[in-house]
Amino acid sequence: MKIIKISTYFLKSIGVIAAMALLLISCNSKAEKNKNETSEGTPQTSEDPIKIGVLHSLSGTMAISEVSLKDVVEMAVEEINESGGVLGKKVKTEIVDPASDWDLFAEKAKELLLEKKVAAVFGCWTSVSRKSVLPVFEGNNGLLFYPVQYEGEECSKNVIYTGATPNQQLIPAAEYMMSEEGGGYKKFYLLGTDYVFPRTANKILKAFLLAKGVPEKNIIEEYTPFHHQDYQTIVSKVKKFAAGGKACVLSTINGDSNVPFYKEFANQGLSASSCPIMAFSVAEDELRAMDTEFLAGHLAAWNYYQSAVSPENTEFVNSFKAFCAKNGLPGGKDRVTDDPICWAYTGVYLWKKAVEKAGSYEVDKVRPALYGLEFNSPGGMVKMDPKNHHLAKPVKIGEIKMDGQFDVIWQTEGLVDPQPWSEYTSPGKSCDHVAHGGTYSI
Amino acid sequence: MKSVFKNKSYDYLLFLGIFLILLPLGYLFDIVSITTISLWGRYFCFAIAAIGVDILWGYTGILCMCQALFFCMGGYGIAMHMLLSASGKGVYGSAIPDFMVWNQVASLPWFWEPFHGFPVAVLMCILIPGLFAGIFGYFIFKSRIKGVYFAIITQALALATWLLFLRNETMMGGTNGLTDFKMLLGFDLSTSATKFGLYIISCFVLIAVYIGVKQLVKSKFGKVLIAIRDSESRIRYTSYKIQNYKLVVFVLAAIIAAVGGMLYVPQTGIITPGRMNVTASIEMIIWVALGGRGKLKGAILGSLFINFLYSIFTTALPGSWLYVLGILFIVTVLYIDQGIIGLPNQIREYLNKLKTRKA
Amino acid sequence: MLFFKHIYTVIALQVTLFYFNLRIYTMKVYKCIVTCAMMLFSIAFYGNTNDDLTKLMSSDSEEKTEALRRLIEAQDLAAFPVLSAINDKKLFVYGGKLVTLGKKTTHNNITVYELITLYPETKGITDQKNKSLTLDNVDLKEITFSRKDRLSIIPLLPFINLTSIDDEVRKLAYTQFQNKGDYSTLKRIEKAALRETDEGLIRFAKETILSIRLQNATTENVQMDLIQKLVKNKGDNNLNILTTFIDRPELDAVFKKKVKIQISSIENRSNRIEWVQNLFSGVSLGSILILIALGLSIIYGLAGVINMAHGEFMMIGAYTSFCVQELFKMTSATGELSDFFFWASIPLAFLVSGLFGLLVERLILRKLYGKPLESLLATWGISLVLIQLARTIFGDLTSVKAPSVLSGGWEVVPQLVLPYNRIFIILMTTAMIVLTFLFLYRSKNGLRIRSVTQNRAMSACLGISTKKIDAMTFFIGSGIAGIAGCCMTLIGNVVPDMGQTYIVDSFLVVVTGGVGSLFGTIAAGLGIGQLTKLLEPVFQAVYGKVIILGFIIFFLQFKPKGLFPAKGRVADD
Repeated sequence: MKIIKISTYFLKSIGVIAAMALLLISCNSKAEKNKNETSEGTPQTSEDPIKIGVLHSLSGTMAISEVSLKDVVEMAVEEINESGGVLGKKVKTEIVDPASDWDLFAEKAKELLLEKKVAAVFGCWTSVSRKSVLPVFEGNNGLLFYPVQYEGEECSKNVIYTGATPNQQLIPAAEYMMSEEGGGYKKFYLLGTDYVFPRTANKILKAFLLAKGVPEKNIIEEYTPFHHQDYQTIVSKVKKFAAGGKACVLSTINGDSNVPFYKEFANQGLSASSCPIMAFSVAEDELRAMDTEFLAGHLAAWNYYQSAVSPENTEFVNSFKAFCAKNGLPGGKDRVTDDPICWAYTGVYLWKKAVEKAGSYEVDKVRPALYGLEFNSPGGMVKMDPKNHHLAKPVKIGEIKMDGQFDVIWQTEGLVDPQPWSEYTSPGKSCDHVAHGGTYSI
Repeated sequence: MKSVFKNKSYDYLLFLGIFLILLPLGYLFDIVSITTISLWGRYFCFAIAAIGVDILWGYTGILCMCQALFFCMGGYGIAMHMLLSASGKGVYGSAIPDFMVWNQVASLPWFWEPFHGFPVAVLMCILIPGLFAGIFGYFIFKSRIKGVYFAIITQALALATWLLFLRNETMMGGTNGLTDFKMLLGFDLSTSATKFGLYIISCFVLIAVYIGVKQLVKSKFGKVLIAIRDSESRIRYTSYKIQNYKLVVFVLAAIIAAVGGMLYVPQTGIITPGRMNVTASIEMIIWVALGGRGKLKGAILGSLFINFLYSIFTTALPGSWLYVLGILFIVTVLYIDQGIIGLPNQIREYLNKLKTRKA
Repeated sequence: MLFFKHIYTVIALQVTLFYFNLRIYTMKVYKCIVTCAMMLFSIAFYGNTNDDLTKLMSSDSEEKTEALRRLIEAQDLAAFPVLSAINDKKLFVYGGKLVTLGKKTTHNNITVYELITLYPETKGITDQKNKSLTLDNVDLKEITFSRKDRLSIIPLLPFINLTSIDDEVRKLAYTQFQNKGDYSTLKRIEKAALRETDEGLIRFAKETILSIRLQNATTENVQMDLIQKLVKNKGDNNLNILTTFIDRPELDAVFKKKVKIQISSIENRSNRIEWVQNLFSGVSLGSILILIALGLSIIYGLAGVINMAHGEFMMIGAYTSFCVQELFKMTSATGELSDFFFWASIPLAFLVSGLFGLLVERLILRKLYGKPLESLLATWGISLVLIQLARTIFGDLTSVKAPSVLSGGWEVVPQLVLPYNRIFIILMTTAMIVLTFLFLYRSKNGLRIRSVTQNRAMSACLGISTKKIDAMTFFIGSGIAGIAGCCMTLIGNVVPDMGQTYIVDSFLVVVTGGVGSLFGTIAAGLGIGQLTKLLEPVFQAVYGKVIILGFIIFFLQFKPKGLFPAKGRVADD
C-alpha cells in the first residue's frame, strides 16, 4: 500500500515537473532567441520579416469597437507586403488579445516589446488602456500608434497620436453649433459616459462655452455609468432643459448606451430639429448594424467619414470591404470604415514612410523621421506635426443619414493643427519634443 | 510547523524548487526574462487572494462574490501611497496626483492624507478592508443571511462599489484608476532588481500565508469552520456562535485578499476598478473551484494554472480563449469535483471501480 | 415693384387660405392643388420665376448664381420647393425638369429614392406603367451650388420651411419665428397656422403667433390677456417666452408680479409633469425587472439554483427577434420589413430560449441539484460560453427595428409623452404575470411545480415525476427570459453581453421578494424600480444604486427571507 502511494506521488511529481518545465521553456524560448538578436542593433536579421504588434481587444466589452482596427491594420500590412514590404523586408503582425482587461494591456505590451521585439505597436482604444501601457512604452522605449480621438493633456515621446485632439474635434463642433449656420444654439447639455474622455472633453467644452459668453446656467453637465441602458430620467431632464428652445446636446456617450439614449430621445418627442445631438463618439462602425431610424438628422464631429469624396478614400473603402469579405470576417462586404479605422490605417503607412525615410526600424531613428511627414490619407492630405507627435487634419461635421452614413455638412478650411494641451483648460502649456523634450510651460 | 511538513513533502519541495530555485537561477543566468518573473510574481498575488477565498468557501462554505473588492482595497491603498510618494514628479509637477489636476481638485482629499507614510499606508491597507468586511459581515451574518442569498448580496455590493470607484468624484481615479507609479520605499519600480525583489517577497508572503492558514484550519477553530460548512444548523444547536466564526473568517479572508492586492499593484503598475467588478470576484472563485475546493494547495495551484493559461491563450488563441476557459470550467464543476489537485485521486478511484466491476 | 410683390404674396396666401379652409382633402391632395394654383398665379404675374428656374439648369455658374439671387429676392412661393431642395443639396435635373429625391426604400440591399418634380408642381414622377420612377433606373444630373450660394438661402429658410411637407421642419420654422417675428411675418404665420391639422402643430403655431403679438403689444391689458392665452395654450416654449418678456425694463413692479404668478403656474405644471414622467419611468423599469426576475424566481424556488446564465437566455431571446427580422427581410419580396416580424418573434423567443434552458438543465444542472453554489458557478461558465458564442456568430452591435406602432409616444397632455415601447413592456409584463399566475395556481402542472417547490422528496413519493417538472420549470422560466429579451430590443440594442445589464438588479429583486414567491417578485420589482427612479434625479444613477443596495441590506435585517418568505417548515440544511 505504501509503495503504491509513494509511486503515485513520484509519478505525479514527475508529471508536474515535466509540465512546468515545458511551460517555462515555451515561455522563454522566444525570449531567449530574441535576446541574442538584439545585440545586432536591429531586432531582426535580414531574412526575417519585420514584426509589428497589434494590441487591440478581441474579446470583452471593447471588442465591438477594437476588432475593426485590428482588421484594418492587418489590411494595411497586407497591402504593404504586396507592394514589396518595408526596406525590402516583409512586415509581420504579432496579434495579441488584451481582452478589455486593463492590467492585461500592460502585460501584453511588455510581451510585445520585450519578448516579441516588435518594431512598433498599433493599438489601444480607451484612455485607460493607453494610460496602462504608457509606462511600459516609456520604460522600454517602444513606439505606440494610437488611432482614437482622445482627451489630450498628454504628450508622450513614445506615442504617436493619429486620432484627434480636443481642438480638432470638440471646439470646432461647439463653434459650429453656436454659429448662425449651425443653428445658433444657446443652451448646451453636456452628456457623457463617466470616464476620462467625456470628463476632460466636457471640461474643455465648458471652459470654451463660458469664454464665448454662454451663461453658466445654460450649461448642464451630466454623466452616466458605462453600459447605462435606462435613459428615461435623463431624457426627461433634457426635455425640460430644451423647453426654452435653442438647446442642443453635446454627447460623449460611449458605445452601447447610444441606442437606448437616441431611442428614448425620439420616443419622448424630441427630435433633431427641436434639440439636435452633436455626438463625439458615434461613428459609422457603431451605426453599421444599428437601427438608425432614431439617429438620422443628428450630428457628429470627426475628421474622416466613409462618405468623403476622394479617389484615395474610394479605394480604401473598397479594399477594406474586399479584405473583410475575403478573410471571412464577420460583416464581410457590409463592413464600413470610420474615423478611428482611417487613422489606424494611416498610422501604419506613416510608420512605413518614416522607416523608409530613416532607413532603420529603430524607434529613436523612426521618431524624428515622423516629424513633418505628409501622407495622402483616405481622409485627405494630413501632416504630422513637426514637434508634438500628433497629426494635423481637417475637421468635419456630419449629419447622420438613414443608411448609417454621414452627410458632411461643414468642414474647416485646410488642416487644423493639433493642440494636445487645450488653450481653454491648460493655458500656458504646450508640447514640443524637438526643443523641449515634451510638455513644457510657455 | 512540523505538522505542515510531516508528509507529502514532495509538493512543497516541487513548489519551492521551481519558484525559489529554478526560476531565480534562470533569471540570473539570463534564461528567464524579467517579464516572466514579474508575471509569476503577479500570479502569486492572485494565489494569496485565492487562499482567502478557499478558507471562506472551501472551509466555511460561504460563497463570497466580493473578494476582488478587498483585493482592490489593498491595491488602491498601496497605489495611493506610491502616487503620493512620487508627488511633484508627474506631468503637471503638482503636489497632488496627476488625475486630480485634470479633475480640477485643488488640494489633496482628506482620506488621501494617511497614505503619505509607508507604515501607516500598509496599516490602512489592512485596516480598511478588515473594518469594512467586519461591519458588512456583522450585519449580514447577524440576520443569518447565507448560501445563495449571501452570494447575491455580496455580488450587489461588488457591483455598487465598482460603480462608485468608476465615478471620478470619488477621487480614486475613475475608470482609469491609478497608474504611473515610480517609487516604492525608494526603490525604482522600473528596474529589474526591484521587480525581482517583489517577486521574491510575493513568493515568501504566499508561503507565509499558506503556512499560517494551514495551521488555522488544522486547529480546533478550523474544525468548527468545516462543521459549519457541512451542517450549519447542527453546529448552531450545539451552541456555537456561528456568526462570530463566520465573521472572523470573513474578515481574515478580506485581509488576506488585501495583502495580495498590495503586492499585486507595484508589480502590475496600474490598478483600475476593472479589477474589482463582479466578474473578477467570480474568477477568483473559479481558481479555487478548478484547483480543488477545500484544499489550500488546490487554491494555489488553480490560481497559478488559470492565470498562466489566461496569459498563454490571450496570445495564442486570441478570440477563442473564452470558450476554452468556459468549457474547462463547466467540466470542472460537473466532473472534477475535487479540482485539479484531486484529479489523480479521482482517476485512481475510477480505475479501481472499473477493476472491481470487471472482477 | 416691391409693393406689388407684397400684394401678390397676400393674394396668393388668400387663395391658399381659401383652399385650405375647405378642409376636405388630405394634406397631400391639398398640397398638389395649392401648389398648382399658386404656380398658375405666379406664372400669370411673374413669368420671370420660370425663366430663373430654367436658368438654374444652366452650366454657366455665374448665370446660375444670378438666377438663384433673383429667386431669393423675389420670394416667390412657387420657387420655395426648389430653394428648399438647393438648401438640402438635393436638386437634380431629370428630363429637363428640376427634381428632388423623395421617399427612400431599400430593396435587396440597394437604396432607392423616389423622384419628385419641383416645378410647376410637386409630385412623384411615374413611368408608363404608373410605377414611380426611382433613382436606380434614371440618370440624374446633380445641380450643385457653392456653399456661399447655399448660405444666401438661409434668411429665407424659415418662410420656406413654413411650407414644407415635413411636420418637423414646420415645427422648427414656427419656433424660429418666436423671438424675431414682427407684424409682417405674423400674417404669413397666421395663414400657415390655418393649414395645420395636427394638434401639436396648431399648438406650436398658436404659441408663435401669441409670442409675436406679445412682443409687439404695448398695453398691460393686452399683454396680460396674451400671457394668459399663452399659459392656456400649454406650448413647449411658453416658459422661455415669458421669462424673456419679464426681463423687459419698462414693466412696472405690480405687473411683473402678476406675470410671475403666471410663470410659476407654468413651472408648477412642468414639475408635475416631470413627476408623473418619473413615476412612469419607475413603473417601466420595475416591469422590466419583474419580467427578468419572474423566470429567475420560479427556477430558484424550484431548484434552489440562482441561474447566472439567466441574462444570457434573455440575450438569446433578443437575438431570436433579430434573426426573425433578418429572415423576414430576406424573404420579403419588396425588401420592406413588415411589423409582423416582431409579433411573430415573441412566441419564437419564448420557444428558443426555453429550449436552451431545457438543454442546459438536461445536460448540466441536472447533475448539480442540491448543490446550489456549484450550480451557480456552472451557470456562470455557461453564460461565459454563450456570450462568446453570440459574439462569434453575430459579431457586433446589432439592433432590432421596433415596429412602427411602438415608436413615438402617447401625448397624454401637452409635454407629457409616454413612449409606446415602454407602455408595451408594461402591458407585456402584466400579461406575463397573469399567465404565470394562471399557470402556477390554476393548472395541474402548476400545482405539481408548487408541490415540488415545497417538498421535493414528498412530491416524488406521491408519484410526481420531479424530473419532468424540473425540465418543464426550466423551459418556462427560460422562455419568460426570452420574452424579456424580446422586449428589451425595444429600448436598447442587441449586444452579446446585454444580459449583464439588469441581471444583478434582478437577483436583488428575487432576494428581496422572497424565494419563489410570485407576489414577492412583483412587489420587490416595482419597489426597486420606483425607488431607483425616485433617487435618480436627486442622486444620479450610481449613487442611487448604492443607496438602494444599502436599503436592501438594511431591509434584510428584519426580513432575512425576503418580503414573502416561503411558509411552512422548510428544512435548513
